[in-house]
Amino acid sequence: MKKVFLLSLVLLLTGCNITVLDPKSETASEQAFLITFSFWIMMIVVVTVFILFARFVWKYRYTNSRKHILPKDVKGNIKLEITWIIIPVLLLIILAVPTLAITYDQSPEWTKESEDAGIEIDVTGKQFNWLFRHRNGKEEMDKLVIPEGESIILNLRSEDVIHSFWVPELGGKVDVMPGKELTYEIKHPQRGTYQGKCAEYCGLGHTDMTFQVEVVSTQAYAQYLHQ
Amino acid sequence: MKLSVFGYELVIPTDIIAAWVSVILIGIVAGYIIIKKRKLGVVWDYMKTTNHRKIGILYLLFGIIYFFRAGVDALLIRTQLAVPNNDFWVFQGEKYNELFTTHGTLMIFFVAMPLLLGLMNIAVPLQIGAKDLAFPFLNSLGFWLFFAGSLFFNIAFFLNLTPEVGWTGYAPLSRAEFTPGAGTEFYVFGLQISGLGTIFTALNLIVTIIRHRAPGMSYTRMPLFAWASLITSFLILIAFTVLAIALYLLMFDRLFGTGFFSGDEGDPVFWQHLFWIFGHPEVYILALPAFGIFSDIISTFSKKRIFGYGTMVASIVLIGFLGFMVWVHHMFTVGLGPVVNTFFAITTMAIAIPTGIKVFNWLFTMRGGVIHFTTPMLFALGFIPSFVIGGVTGVMLSLSAADFQFHDTHFVVAHFHYVIIASTILGVFAGLYYWYPKITGYMLDEKLGKWHFWTFLIGYHITFFPMHITGLEGMPRRVYTYSEADGIFILNAISTVGAFLMGISMLFVIWNVYKTHKKKKKVSGDPWDGRTLEWTVSSPAPEHTFEPMPVIHSMDAYWYAKVKNKPLPATTNVRVKPLERDSIQPFCIAMSLFIVSTGLTFRWYWLAILGGVMLFALLILRSITDEREDFYGKSDDHA
Ligand code: HEM
Ligand SMILES: [Cu+2]
Ligand SMILES: [Cu+2]
Repeated sequence: MKKVFLLSLVLLLTGCNITVLDPKSETASEQAFLITFSFWIMMIVVVTVFILFARFVWKYRYTNSRKHILPKDVKGNIKLEITWIIIPVLLLIILAVPTLAITYDQSPEWTKESEDAGIEIDVTGKQFNWLFRHRNGKEEMDKLVIPEGESIILNLRSEDVIHSFWVPELGGKVDVMPGKELTYEIKHPQRGTYQGKCAEYCGLGHTDMTFQVEVVSTQAYAQYLHQ
Repeated sequence: MKLSVFGYELVIPTDIIAAWVSVILIGIVAGYIIIKKRKLGVVWDYMKTTNHRKIGILYLLFGIIYFFRAGVDALLIRTQLAVPNNDFWVFQGEKYNELFTTHGTLMIFFVAMPLLLGLMNIAVPLQIGAKDLAFPFLNSLGFWLFFAGSLFFNIAFFLNLTPEVGWTGYAPLSRAEFTPGAGTEFYVFGLQISGLGTIFTALNLIVTIIRHRAPGMSYTRMPLFAWASLITSFLILIAFTVLAIALYLLMFDRLFGTGFFSGDEGDPVFWQHLFWIFGHPEVYILALPAFGIFSDIISTFSKKRIFGYGTMVASIVLIGFLGFMVWVHHMFTVGLGPVVNTFFAITTMAIAIPTGIKVFNWLFTMRGGVIHFTTPMLFALGFIPSFVIGGVTGVMLSLSAADFQFHDTHFVVAHFHYVIIASTILGVFAGLYYWYPKITGYMLDEKLGKWHFWTFLIGYHITFFPMHITGLEGMPRRVYTYSEADGIFILNAISTVGAFLMGISMLFVIWNVYKTHKKKKKVSGDPWDGRTLEWTVSSPAPEHTFEPMPVIHSMDAYWYAKVKNKPLPATTNVRVKPLERDSIQPFCIAMSLFIVSTGLTFRWYWLAILGGVMLFALLILRSITDEREDFYGKSDDHA
């Protein structure tokens, strides 16, 4: 329910299909929600400043009739100055609440015994390929197959430099660190084929360090594991 | 291109050949002009000078030269990205990686920094009534260290050894096992030497502002540019020290195989912490002086004093302070955990508040004024809306979970160019047009200045606005191409057009400078009807200023004196002028460090030792020369 609500809100607010704002998983939906939500709050600021700016520049511009005016000195105005401290603070508090909730839930962490149940997959990055290993030991290079609707728990690790795992439709980035395993969760992906990429500059072949993601039905996933 | 020299097969990429050819041509032309016009003496004079205005000119000159070089890099980047699957010249893969590394590093360290330090050097002493910076010798040393570092970094390209680790030099990629060539050493030593110079100049500015203000110029009467320079100098002192430590450790990792940034005892994340503890304050080091310039310019050309001086100063201080508490927002995806991520998300949002205060105070400074649309003022006006766009995307980036998507995409590229170009670059342009009379005695042409402004501003928005969308479409930064299927061709093509418009706008600057110096029309000391002390001295600012010394009774004292039609009160009872003696020693000290770096880079340890011996000899020489002797005469009483 929450997911449907968020999704429709996001789509309503953007009305276009920019990849990140057209999410295909719950994780990505929450992020897209934050993005559009903050966008509209920030538009309030932008519009206010632009209007004041245009008005003042136009109204107080130099003209021949105002040539000899010596403007009155205004040292400041405590009330006004407090206003533009308080209002931004309020806007930021409004922004902070959902940010905290979602960040708390989503932040990648060093692997600990995870309580969340889900499909666990080991991801190894190395210059310049991705290796995905499923629970039963099945491995595939540069192609990640996952079942729809489940929680996918990724354990990521690098063999050399830092890489970053990113599938824009399914969620944000997680860095892939040498010598340390990070865990990131993708909740409820929807069926489809997406492109994943490395988002942390990692050397010569960085641009080409891409991979394919296929989100398939649960049965198809079971079949895939035993192919 | 393949060459064979003495039987060796040498492969030289064509971009390197092009660079050699163009530099040699420029060198010949420049050399010819200098010799023909008998200006060798001027060059020698500038190499020895310790005068703040001349050193400022040197900073500005090299900042602008490197701006053109880094701008050419930017145009090459944009050309390669103009169409999908592009194969432009040599700039794919390795060469593209070198491009964005040089572009980023040059722009931050060798363009933005010297341009700002140059303006501070020239304007701050004049604004506060100081006769020079407190330590003229150190000032010269600061510049030459910057120069040696920048020269060292730039030479890499001509040897086809350009670093390719990005301007952030992330470990472990920057460790010797992944980038074994000498390229990364050029990054490490280039930044290390120039950073040292920057720290010296910051110290110098701090002492100058604290100790050498005109009588009566209390902290509550100081122009905002001077305030911004003071706080910036403190930020430099702390941030660049951290950078120096980080580079020092990286140097050990690379040269001697220590394990600070990898392996069991070290951690690549340490590098990121150190780098961003430097790197985020660096953003404010670039922005605060520009804020100061805009404050002075907006007030001057609105003919009104700044609105809310107290909150303006308080917000500079607060921004400087908070600037050290937000560095992890560059590391949200590193896995520091939810608690750390939320903490830094909140501190980052908080920094928006003092920034917002400043924006509204600028707006209300204009309210009720009479706004003159001179070129400096136009740049200040262009800054406000552009900077607000960059600011609000900054707040969006601070939402850590949203940043998982934004991070390392072209959205971030758009964001930081919006912020840096709006503040630093527009600020520097504004400052250059504003203080040009004070620097050279001539006024830049207003009409060409306006052409420059409009083409630059429009080009800048056309270039960077579309990048917000390409980023959200999934285009990572630091990739040399994309495919048609990504659906971002049109947006990228638009960006490229914008970039070339910015390139064209810089031609107006060249033309303008040429025209101005051809016309040689001298201006008075106060061509803008200014408010602060620099407009009381003649243009260009002479070597001996403030004789007699003005006494200050209010902020914008010069303005109020003009309004009341009375001269500024003056006194002859003043602190002695910092002792200035031309010296070639700073140049030599900087060059000895250059030699040490060359030796270490190529593991020619004998050369490094030679440079080290030279350095110590020079330091000893310096400590036994007593400049006061030829000023006060040889005697013991001044000891
Ligand atoms: C003059 C017009 C400019 C254009 C067209 C331009 C263009 C670009 C582009 C397209 C990138 C992204 C490269 C990539 O990630 O693949 C980039 C990166 C960068 N730019 Fe600019 N830029 C300009 C000016 C500036 C200025 C004035 C500064 C700072 C003072 C600056 C600082 C940087 C930095 C720090 C990077 C990041 C480099 C890295 O990823 O290591 N740029 N620029
Ligand atoms: Cu990569
Ligand atoms: Cu930052």
